[in-house]
Amino acid sequence: MKPSSNKLGSAALKAAFVLSCASPGLAPALAQSIAGPVTYQLDPDHTFVTFEVLHFGTSTLRGRIGPVTGEVTVDRGAKTGDLRLRIPVATLDTGMRVLDARLREPDLLAAAEYPEAYFVATRFQFDAAGGVKEVRGEFTLRGVGQPLSLYAKSFGCRRDERLKREVCGGDFTGDLKRHDFGATFGEPFVSDDVHLVVQVEAIAPEAAGAR
Amino acid sequence: MKKISLIAALAALGFAAAAHAESATYAIEPSHTFATFEIGHFNTSTNRGRFNKTSGTVTLDKAAKTGSLDVTVDTSSLDTGTAAFTKHISSEEILNVAVNPTAHLVATKFTFNGDKVSEIDGNLTLNGKTNPVVLKAQNYNCYNSPMIKREVCGGDFDTTIVRSQYGVNYGLNYGFPDNVHLVIQVEAVKQ
Repeated sequence: MKPSSNKLGSAALKAAFVLSCASPGLAPALAQSIAGPVTYQLDPDHTFVTFEVLHFGTSTLRGRIGPVTGEVTVDRGAKTGDLRLRIPVATLDTGMRVLDARLREPDLLAAAEYPEAYFVATRFQFDAAGGVKEVRGEFTLRGVGQPLSLYAKSFGCRRDERLKREVCGGDFTGDLKRHDFGATFGEPFVSDDVHLVVQVEAIAPEAAGAR
Repeated sequence: MKKISLIAALAALGFAAAAHAESATYAIEPSHTFATFEIGHFNTSTNRGRFNKTSGTVTLDKAAKTGSLDVTVDTSSLDTGTAAFTKHISSEEILNVAVNPTAHLVATKFTFNGDKVSEIDGNLTLNGKTNPVVLKAQNYNCYNSPMIKREVCGGDFDTTIVRSQYGVNYGLNYGFPDNVHLVIQVEAVKQ
């Protein structure tokens, strides 16, 4: 339902949807053992970080950051992986511009001084089916790096008929305490606990996708 | 004896009056009220879209444990983070925002768990079609806002709708899910 390029015209888009949808291509790509590491490029149309933080113990304030760019290398045989995300914090969007501006200020995201956050993970855990289960690494926000684990709530691979490539991705979540990154404004009325919800899809190179 | 029953009657009346005084109207606070939909994408990840503009009122009677609400979502305020996706969902193929610029939720049945709202039963009108929905509270609380010096009540609610019941059938035959998860943040200010 979501196109992979903003530049496509609507007619082309419609054609692309029909093509991509006519056969969803949910082949069990994970069962295939691709020898050696494969590097996937993140699909910016399907890769976003949303943070969730409880407001006055009442409701959950959300902000979406993205599109997130980067790449992920997975070696299914060796069960290793390497993920590099560049997270443009200045794109923060809560749906309220006034709130966005406040959250970008130096005592919170410090977006002017630190326009990007990073997540670099080199420790991957896989489930029995070969899907990514957990990625552990370092999250850098406001120039401060802290360990962070993201856990898969869902993970899958498919043959994308429109792209003619393999696409893998899922939904991941993680938790951090914002005081660890020096972003304490508004506590305790706005919680110190931040829940991260990460949508990610990544596209294999042509050779890998052709298998 | 007569005197006692009179006192009891007066006390009962007084209690009823106090209970009645608990009923209050709350106005939806748009900066902390957002509906987000979540729909699966090819069994891989979850696509999300947020509606940025919501308005309406809620009435709560904390003593009687009753409530009602009438909330309107501006469907043209959809924001997915990807312009082409937002445009496609807004088009006549999906939400047909030009013809149906609002979604409307009306509810008159609030269920309480202790002093907290736990469930809201209502009717959702989307794409011009109305179906019953049950919103379940994941969080609920009231607090006195130090900024506006008023009581604010709100929470997080969610429900799963079947989009074909609203005539939103795009992509069902390609394997896009019929179930759509709605995640709602809401806060409302006592008037």
